[in-house]
Amino acid sequence: MDDKLVNSVRSTVFKDSDSLEGTCTRIEGYDFNQGVNYSRLLKSMLSTGFQASNFGEAVEIVNEMLDWRLSDEPIAEDSSEEEKDPTYRESVRSKVFLGFTSNLISSGVRDTGRYLTEHHMVDVIVTTTGGIEEDLIKCLAPTYKGDFSLPGAQLRSRGLNRIGNLLVPNDNYCKFEDWIIPIFDQMLKEQHEENVLWTPSKLIARLGREINNGNSYLYWAYKNNIPVFCPGLTDGSLGDMLYFHSFRNPGLIIDVVQDIRAMNGEAVHASPRKTGMIILGGGLPKHHICNANMMRNGADYAVYINTAQEYDGSDSGARPDEAVSWGKIRGSAKTVKVHCDATIAFPLLVAETFASRSKNFVA
Amino acid sequence: MSDEEHHFESKADAGASKTYPQQAGTIRKNGYIVIKNRPCKVVEVSTSKTGKHGHAKCHFVGIDIFTGKKLEDIVPSSHNCDVPHVNRTDYQLIDISEDGFVSLLTDSGDTKDDLRLPTDDNLLKQIKDGFAGGKDLVVSVMSAMGEEQICALKDIGPK
Repeated sequence: MDDKLVNSVRSTVFKDSDSLEGTCTRIEGYDFNQGVNYSRLLKSMLSTGFQASNFGEAVEIVNEMLDWRLSDEPIAEDSSEEEKDPTYRESVRSKVFLGFTSNLISSGVRDTGRYLTEHHMVDVIVTTTGGIEEDLIKCLAPTYKGDFSLPGAQLRSRGLNRIGNLLVPNDNYCKFEDWIIPIFDQMLKEQHEENVLWTPSKLIARLGREINNGNSYLYWAYKNNIPVFCPGLTDGSLGDMLYFHSFRNPGLIIDVVQDIRAMNGEAVHASPRKTGMIILGGGLPKHHICNANMMRNGADYAVYINTAQEYDGSDSGARPDEAVSWGKIRGSAKTVKVHCDATIAFPLLVAETFASRSKNFVA
Repeated sequence: MSDEEHHFESKADAGASKTYPQQAGTIRKNGYIVIKNRPCKVVEVSTSKTGKHGHAKCHFVGIDIFTGKKLEDIVPSSHNCDVPHVNRTDYQLIDISEDGFVSLLTDSGDTKDDLRLPTDDNLLKQIKDGFAGGKDLVVSVMSAMGEEQICALKDIGPK
């Protein structure tokens, strides 16, 4: 063979590669010869690749968000005297927005959420209506495990409602109705007699107070003054109850305008705190939190955990980088999307982050 | 207490109560129901089965029998609703006064003068024209929950 040709082919096929050593993490999974050590197993995900690595990054980002203090930043020129005080700066932490869809509250993730509100580990919650009622109903009667394949018509005739592979008996909703209607009556009375103007978040806080049950995340949110926003309050069983109540005892007014002021205010007035978003699922909670953060030119940390895809242009499937184009997340922010069902990823995430730092959250 | 009952005056003859309770799930179309304290004729009933919205419920659309207004209500099907006692009595028309009251002849030969002319234009015209024309008219008076109104008219005169 021609030497020149050989050399030319050799230089094409055996192109020198960049060295990744030192700049990139080596891929290495967990070694079970160490025994079954769950903590090390979870930490090994960062170097396992694919969504395990994204999960590992999510843990890093959340921990960075939880560990940040204003004292980590250089003192800004326009800081007030208070803001310059070192003790004050040590005390200023990130503001955490937590969003999740209703199905997660039907699932056991509700109990993870309860842990977070119980210890005031998050600052603002956004969810859909089911995320409110399913938590309250579980205090009145339980949800059961079923199967995705149970036939709908049979379940209907047995008075069972299917949520994925979970089952909620009709009777649970009847108990909810019996519990909530007198509360609405009382709220209407207060509206007339004490000029209370109810909003979704005020209503939710009231329900958290009324349920008075330590298993409910809404109870702890009420106790710890964590606002829970639900602009789509009418879209669920709660909405059905409002509908029926409007016939029996009309006049209850629920104002969404006050709540959008409050929600956006949480973001706008957060400074000098950094803001972080942990969003489970898509839909309304995802967008509502991102939109509020747009008002302060973007969040500093964002972790998405959902199974939606971006190819249909939906907001649910949009990656954090799309939000950067809107100013909902800062260009300098630390972000990751974990493509995983939150029932798997979220409890594990909390184990490696909030729960590992529980001492930081003593009131 | 029984002494006081002797002095009790009621317009309706059908006893002391103006309504009686009936389970919502048993009230049918063309029956009667009280909605927002008004006696209504039921024109539509639909039931939603027990589900996410709680107990099974009956959705009633009723027409106020005196004003013709449409009223709606939703009631759990196991709850009791009030059903009005609705009575129709026929009286012979004796006279129409200038201020819009009618004079009616009761069965016992007394006159009943406390009823106004109906507000329905059609019926009003028929009564006025018929009376002016010297016809023998019998009016049907519907009564429920303490209210009365002329609801129909018959010409019983010679052909």
